[in-house]
This record gives sequence, structure tokens and C-alpha cells, in this order.
Amino acid sequence: MQIEDDEILQGFIEESLEHLADIETDLLAIEKAGANIDENLVNKVFRAAHSIKGGAGFMGLTVIQELSHAMENILGMIRSRKLVPNPEIVNVLLQGSDKLEAMINNVHSSNDEDITEHLIPLNAIAEGTALQPAAPKPAPEPVIIEATPEPVVAEAITPEPVQQTAEAHNIPEEQAAPTPITPKPEPIVPLTSPTPTSTAAATTAQPPQVKADTSLRVHVSLLDSLMTLAGELVLSRNQLLQTIGSNDLRNAEAVGQRIDLITSELQEAIMLTRMQPIGNVFSKFPRVVRDLSKQLNKTIELTIVGNEVELDKTIIESINDPLTHLVRNSVDHGVEMPADRKRVGKAEKGIIILKAYHEAGQVVIQISDDGKGLDGEALAASAVSKGLISTEQAQIMSDKEKINLIFLPGFSMAKKVTDVSGRGVGMDVVKTNLDKLGGQVEIVSEVGRGTTISIKLPLTLAIIPCQIITTSGERYAIPQVNLEELLRIPANQVKKRVEKVGNAEVVRLRGNLLPLIRLADVIEAERTYWDPAEAAHKPDKRGSIADRRGKTSPLFQTTGETQEEENKSNTDERVLSDRRYTASSALNIVVVSTSSMKYGLVVDRLQDSEEIVIKPLGRHLQQCKGYAGATIMGDGRIALILDVSNLAQMAHLTSIDGTDRANEVALAAAELMRAQKDKQALLIFRSSEHEQFAVPLNQVERIEKIKRSEIEDMGGKRVMQYRGGSLALITVDNISAVHPLADQDDLLVIVFNICSKPVGLLAIGPIDAVEITTEIDGVTLKQPGIMGSIIIDGHTTMLVDVFEIVQTLYPDWFAEKPVFEIEKNSGVVPTILIAEDSNFFRNQVKGYMTESGYKVIEGADGAIAWDLLQKHAEEIAMVVTDIEMPNMNGFELTETIRKNPKYNKIPIIALTTLAADEDIAKGKAVGIDEYHIKLDKEKLMTCVHDYMKRLF
Amino acid sequence: MNETKSTTNILVELATFYIGDALCGMDILKIQEINKLMDMTKVPQAPSYVIGILNLRGQIVTIIDLGKKLGLGATDATLSSRNIIVNSPGEHVGLLVTRLSDVISADTDKIERAPANMGGIQGEFFSGVYKTADRLIGILDINKVLRLEDQGH
Repeated sequence: MQIEDDEILQGFIEESLEHLADIETDLLAIEKAGANIDENLVNKVFRAAHSIKGGAGFMGLTVIQELSHAMENILGMIRSRKLVPNPEIVNVLLQGSDKLEAMINNVHSSNDEDITEHLIPLNAIAEGTALQPAAPKPAPEPVIIEATPEPVVAEAITPEPVQQTAEAHNIPEEQAAPTPITPKPEPIVPLTSPTPTSTAAATTAQPPQVKADTSLRVHVSLLDSLMTLAGELVLSRNQLLQTIGSNDLRNAEAVGQRIDLITSELQEAIMLTRMQPIGNVFSKFPRVVRDLSKQLNKTIELTIVGNEVELDKTIIESINDPLTHLVRNSVDHGVEMPADRKRVGKAEKGIIILKAYHEAGQVVIQISDDGKGLDGEALAASAVSKGLISTEQAQIMSDKEKINLIFLPGFSMAKKVTDVSGRGVGMDVVKTNLDKLGGQVEIVSEVGRGTTISIKLPLTLAIIPCQIITTSGERYAIPQVNLEELLRIPANQVKKRVEKVGNAEVVRLRGNLLPLIRLADVIEAERTYWDPAEAAHKPDKRGSIADRRGKTSPLFQTTGETQEEENKSNTDERVLSDRRYTASSALNIVVVSTSSMKYGLVVDRLQDSEEIVIKPLGRHLQQCKGYAGATIMGDGRIALILDVSNLAQMAHLTSIDGTDRANEVALAAAELMRAQKDKQALLIFRSSEHEQFAVPLNQVERIEKIKRSEIEDMGGKRVMQYRGGSLALITVDNISAVHPLADQDDLLVIVFNICSKPVGLLAIGPIDAVEITTEIDGVTLKQPGIMGSIIIDGHTTMLVDVFEIVQTLYPDWFAEKPVFEIEKNSGVVPTILIAEDSNFFRNQVKGYMTESGYKVIEGADGAIAWDLLQKHAEEIAMVVTDIEMPNMNGFELTETIRKNPKYNKIPIIALTTLAADEDIAKGKAVGIDEYHIKLDKEKLMTCVHDYMKRLF
Repeated sequence: MNETKSTTNILVELATFYIGDALCGMDILKIQEINKLMDMTKVPQAPSYVIGILNLRGQIVTIIDLGKKLGLGATDATLSSRNIIVNSPGEHVGLLVTRLSDVISADTDKIERAPANMGGIQGEFFSGVYKTADRLIGILDINKVLRLEDQGH
């Protein structure tokens, strides 16, 4: 082998691999076309094989040359229509291209490869003789070698296959053998012969050579823009040096801004070079599905959507294995045998759809099949029988949790172990791999209908938005993908909302129980708390979080007896001075989610969200599992990035926390919820000092602190720069007769999302979130922009209608919103039945409906609504109902309606203040079509319009 | 005085420093830089000999307390203590030492095998011992010191 020029060789390898990548898909297309040969396609494959042959010949890679030559022969025959491609021929060609790829990836030892098993069938096809099975066992020729097999083994194991000369001394015959110059039909090294060890060794002899430095194709226009940016950077640097030289401070600021701008553009452009289309990974799946379905005697059609979606190179590389596993799973377990499909009335051909698309700054990859779906009950039963969970745990699990059992280590659903999948290591490994990438998996499955697995991935790994928090005086970053929400429990509610279940602490969050982990405990840092009065971290000596009296808890024994004694003795004097009763004692919780679970991380302080650059930690710190890396903050110090799924593991938190007590508490909490009236979560704020306002909390997207100077007055509208765009700003006094916005420097912007545009409401503090149960007064203080009033903690509070304000100030935004056009369609005014016990909400919803041109019939509870429905059965086209109502609640009403065949087609939309997953599931089960949050006018009306359009 | 005699011999320059009271040295070419203590970030749950990590011009550097790593007890961070930044495979590592001493030229011929124990430090961490007129300098084998298997002691 004389490979003199590494660069040329490298070029050959890259080019050949590219050709091979195409060959595979093209061969599959050729197979599909059958006798109906697409010449262009065949030509393309032919040329690819030909170029590989040519390159290999030039490089002296005789074996590669020989194999590609044999393949080229057959392709030539197909091209000249002497041969009709059938699956067998394509199979042989595919295997040949696999072998070629393997050899090219390991080019230095390619000349020692044995390719007879490929050459025989290839030549047989070329000669037109009857085709042997794909992998023929060549007749063993035991004669050849006098040398004992032992030295062969020894030689084969040597990690450097290039040491030809040294080996040649040992066993010249053997050396000569595997480099066949001419294709001899008789195999020279018998596959079955000498000793099993030698064949085994032969496979190990190909060291898993790390693929040579990979190169990347970048579009010239992108390179050009990089060059331009680099040029600009140089110019700005010169400018900067000049300004520094002349001590011109004012100019320095301008130059600084310029450099800032160029740097971010440069960064963006460089990130773009790393983006690769996901098609690179997807392209191999047609082959995988074809081979596998053939092996399993299934017919499956694979549809691929979204090849062009781009992801960071590193993600593309690491997504390959998990995706392959999932696709194979779908083929093996998802899609049934053709006969079974026919029996249940499905088409014999199964369908698998592989789809990639963008959603909310992330890329979603979906693998869906129309197979038999996952049976939650069967999964749970299997998990119980394997001893992974207890029967009691299985009983209280929701369907989603049951399906997620598939991610448990040691869980395999396959009834029998096939070599395709189902070895008991599978989904858990997939999940771990995806966790590492910052991805999340979600499974939606319906028995008999199919399974959809969605993987959410960040666009890039290099720069990620993070929430910064502080604990024990150090800053930590939590990736935003894991972040669900931030929760602050005021000191006076901690005792009420934090409980102990078993030996774990949990917090009540909207009727659900959320397990809590203290960051300081998990990473074994000193437990501290932040004292805002002294602006310092102080050591925290408390036991459990909810522990307001120093009770010792089994989990946090560290407090010891002394603390308890001390507490007992002077509880009374301490009441006022004790920090547990001051603001600093509020609990800051970061609610994070991993793919399998959600938990609360208790931290000292919450800080900003920032975009950070991930840097790896040194090898001495690899054992610290709690960190995903580190980043350098603006002030030059380092903050560690937390790995939330590993933290959960370190805290021994499992997703299935089904102790009896948890069950009990959950039931009690649910009972409590039921006993209470509707709760409405409100965000309280002020606009001027004297008037208190509120908005529904679930409409609020974010709250930002800003300075008055950031507000720009442009074209008669107020805007500010926000996340790279302009944020329209409104105030309550824009359209309502209230006091004007207080004239102070520090302002708050409450960000809403209306008509899918962000809009900011200017406000001042203090802000607070409260849950109210009292009735809202929709009359006394009603005026434009104010939907009603309510008394909260002794203050009259006006409920702001942000939607109305925006509609008044920016009517254009609503221009393209669909308005139901009654006359045009049928001439009938559709009537909607509203069931709602609260006057305020009923009037609000009624307002929305009548405004859009619907007729409304209202009932104050479920029973009244049911009577009304029977009376006006002819007119009513849709029911909009509250859930919590006296006499007959929304679930019962729905059930009653659905039971009656006369009404079971009427769409039913439920309105709720708290949409918990279980409630939604329950609602769907009784027949509710849609769930909407009260006062979210936009979504509710879009949904109503949609249904009406379908009806008329 | 060594230099004048042994012009024909190979000389290595040793940077010497104190770990506690023990005088150690290492080949100066293995040192990237030496700096004063900077603002470090603690890493909870790290091995005890890792004091923290710091930002060295955009690189994250793990700082190791050499005293603790070699079993001499924690090094006090004082005004005279320094970080010796060395290149470890794939990353930079900082070694915290009590104080610096001179740079000396050592005659390779005169470097002797290290004893089993020297000033409380196990001999395996030394690649040799160099004798000056009045002192013994243990020459640290940095690769051994930074090896992961032995966690601290």
C-alpha cells in the first residue's frame, strides 16, 4: 500500500463516503422502481461506484477497487437493461456498499479485508447464473495453511493492522492470502474453517478507529459573511485602539457598542456553520426500516418529513443511536404482523412517520406508527411482575405515568426477546442519552391506534439560556429547557403548603404534590439563606422546610437536640425577631422537569436568566455528577451548570413516589379542591400609588424590571427593546379613567401574549400573586379596560382587561382574526349555552360570545343548564360549561348530555381556572371536547369559531 | 557552581517551590504560567484536594491543593501562595503551593532516585531527587500527581 499523500487520501475517503451515503437511498429507489428503470438514478449510482473504483485504483486500494468494480458491473447491466433489479440483487448491492463503507472508514487495513463473500454473489449475478442466497457459506478449503492457527490469532489481535512487514515474516502464506489480486471463486481463507477464535479475532482486529478528523461543508455565502464580519471586527478594533490612544471616552462608547454588535453577529454566523440538516440522520432510516421489516415479514411504509430542519452538528451526531433504537422499536413492537392488522381492520401495510419540525425555539422529532400502541395496564402489570413497582403504586398511577414506565431501567415490553429489540436495555438508555443532550421524550399512545414518541431537542448545545440561582453563596445555572416555573412561597404560607410525605418534603402546587429537593443538601454544600436586610448569606440551621418550631425530622437530623431545646424555651420572645416570620424566610423554588418527572429545587435566591456558553469541567471533577459543566459569567467568575436529572438521582428521587402517605395527601388535596369554590389566581400590581389592579395570573408570560429610560416613545406608541425585538407597551390609564402611571424610575413590565404578539403592561410594585375565591363584582367599577373589581386583603382591586386595552390601542392586530360570519353561511344565528355559577365569569363569557355575534342562553348551574338545553334543544349548537358548580358540576352535566343520544354530538367546551392534567383526562373521558382557561378570551374564541365553522 | 563544572552535561531548569515545608521542584518547561490566587468558585462534592475552579482568560482551570493531594494537609492560602498552571492532557490544571522559591539549573546526571518517603510525601510522586549545596529538592512527577486513581491520600 503506497499512500503517499495524506491529503489526497483524506479527500478520497470523504468523497467516497458521500457517494456511499447516496448510493443507499438510490438503491432503495431502484428496488422500488423494479423493471421500470429510472436511468438517471442508475447512472448516478453507477458513476458513484465508478468514481470509488477509480480513486481506489489510484490510491492502490486494490480490495476496494475490486469490490466497487464488481458492483459497477452489475449496475452497468441494470443500466443497459440486461438485468432487472429485484430485491435479491439490490440486497447484494447494499451489502456490498456496506462493506465498501466499512473498508473506506478503515482504509489503511482495507487491503487485508476478505471480500469473497461479496464477490461470489456479485459475480454470480453478473454471469447470470442462478443466484445464491445472499450470504453464501463458501465451501471450506481446509488445506491451505500449514502455520498453526495460533500465530494467526496473535497477529490478528495486534492493534495496528498496518504492520505488514513484521507479520509477513511470521507467516508468509497467510500474508499473501488475504490480498487476492484476482477474484478467485474459491475462498482462500475459509470462513468456517481454522478455529473459531481466529474469526472472532479477525473482527476485533479492526480497531474501532476513531473516524479521521471530520470536515464540514459550509456554504460559500456563509463563509463570505463570516469574512465580512471578521473584517468589520478588525476595523472596529483599529477604531478602539485609536480612541483609547486619544482618550476619547465618548467615542469609546460608540465603538464598544459596535464591537458588541459585530461579536454577536459573528457568533450567530459561526453557530450557523455548525448547523446541519437532520436529513443526514434521517436518510439512513429507509434502509433500516426496509431491512428490518423484511426480516420480520412485515410491510411498512416510512414517510419522512422535515429533512431540512437544522440542528447543531454535535446533536445530529448523538441523536443517531437513540433515533435508530426508537425506529427499530416501532418496526418491531409497534407495527403488527400483516395478518393481525387485517384482522383488526387496518391496512396490511403499516405506516411509520418520522418528522422533524421547529417548535418554540426547539426542534421536535416525532416518530409515530399506526401499530398496536402501548397498553398502560399491561405495562404496569409487567412492571409489577418484574418487581419494579408495587401493586399499590401501579393502582394510583395515571395512564401517562404507566406508559412512562417503559423508561425504567430493566424494563422490556417484548413478550419474547428478539434480536431486533427488546433486550431489556433500551428505552432507559435512549432516555439517558437524550437527557445528556438536554432533550426530552414524551410518549402518546392509544391502544390499537398507534404510538407517537416526541423528542424535543435544543437547537444547539454550545449556547443555552439558563436561569441563574444562588445557593451557599455560589451561583449556579439551570438550563431553561428544564425549567418549568419559579415559585416563591411567602413565609406565612410555608407551613401550610410544605408537607412531609414519608421522609420527603413536598409542596402543594395547584392541587398537585411536588417533591422538593434542597440544592444545598444534594450537593452537600453548607445550607444557607439570603438575608436581604444585611445583603448576606447566613448559615441556615433549620431542619425541614416546613419546620417552624424546630421539630426534628428524620431526614434532617443535623439540627440536633440543642436547637429544639432552645426553640422551646424562647419561642415567645422570638416570634417577632425570628427570621422565619420575615420576608427572608420565603422559600424560593425552581420547578424543573426532566423527561420522567418534575420536582422543586429549593435555592437561596433566584436571579436573572442569561444566555451562557457551556464549558466542560476538568477530569478531576468528572465524578461530580450534579454538574453538566461550567460557564463564565459576565463578571469573570465561574458558575456551575446543574444537571437536574442527575440531581434527582442523587437525591434518590424517583418519578414513582407512590407511598401510601402520598396517595393520602393527594386525595386530601383533591378533596380540598373540590370542597372549595372556583379559585382564580390573580397577579396584583399597581399603576399609581393609590389604585390596586389585578390580572389573571395565567395570562402573564413574564414580569421584567426595567428603568423608565428604557422606554422609547415612537410614532405615538410606547415601545421598548425586548429579546431582540420591539415590545409594545401599554398602561391601564391608556383607555381607562384611572390615575396615570406613577412617575418613578423603576418600573415593571408585565408581559402578555396577545394575538401571538408580546405586549407589556407598565406597572409598579408591590406585586403579588394571590388565589381568590370571592365573587368578582362585574358592575360597580366596570369601565373600558376594567372588567370588574374584587376586594383583596381589604383593598378594592380592579381587574384589568388587557385584551380590551390592546384591542382598543392596536386594532390592526385583530384584523386577520376570524369573526364568525353568520348570515353568509346559513342565516341562522348559532346559540351557545353557557353554564357558570359565577355571575362575573358568566357575564364575561357572554360578552365574548355576543360580541362575536352568537346568541347566548345562560344557566347558573349544571342542572339549570340541562333544563335549558332540553327546552331549547333545536337552537343550541354548543355548550360552554364551568367545572365547579353547585347542584350539577361540569363533569356531571357533560355525562348527562352525552348519555342522551339526541345531544351527544354537541361540542362541549369546559372552562376552568386550574387545568390539572388529571382533570383534563377526566373531562375528556366523560366527553368534554376542549378545555380552556377562564378569561383567556383569545384562545376560547378561536376554539368556539373553529367548532362553529365545522357545524355550519 | 554546578554550571561551571558540567558544561558537557545536560541541564534542566527546575522551578522550585514549597509545599508546606517540603521543597519540591518541577521542570520549568512543563509550567505554563504562575499566578497569584484569583477569585475561585467552590465546587461542592468535588474531591477534597480540588479547591475550586477559576477562569483563566476564558479557560476553566481546576485548582488542586498540592499539599492535600500529596498527603501533607491543606495548604493555607496566604499572600505568598501561588498557583502553578500546568498543561494536563486536554485541560489546564492549577497547583496551589505554599510559596515559590528559585529557579535552578540542575545537572541531569546528578538527579538521583527518590527515596520511598521524602518529607512526608510518598516517593512514588517523585521522579527524582536533586541535591544542592545545602538542600534536597524532590522533583515532582506531575503526571503521577495528577493521576485520578489515588484520590488525595
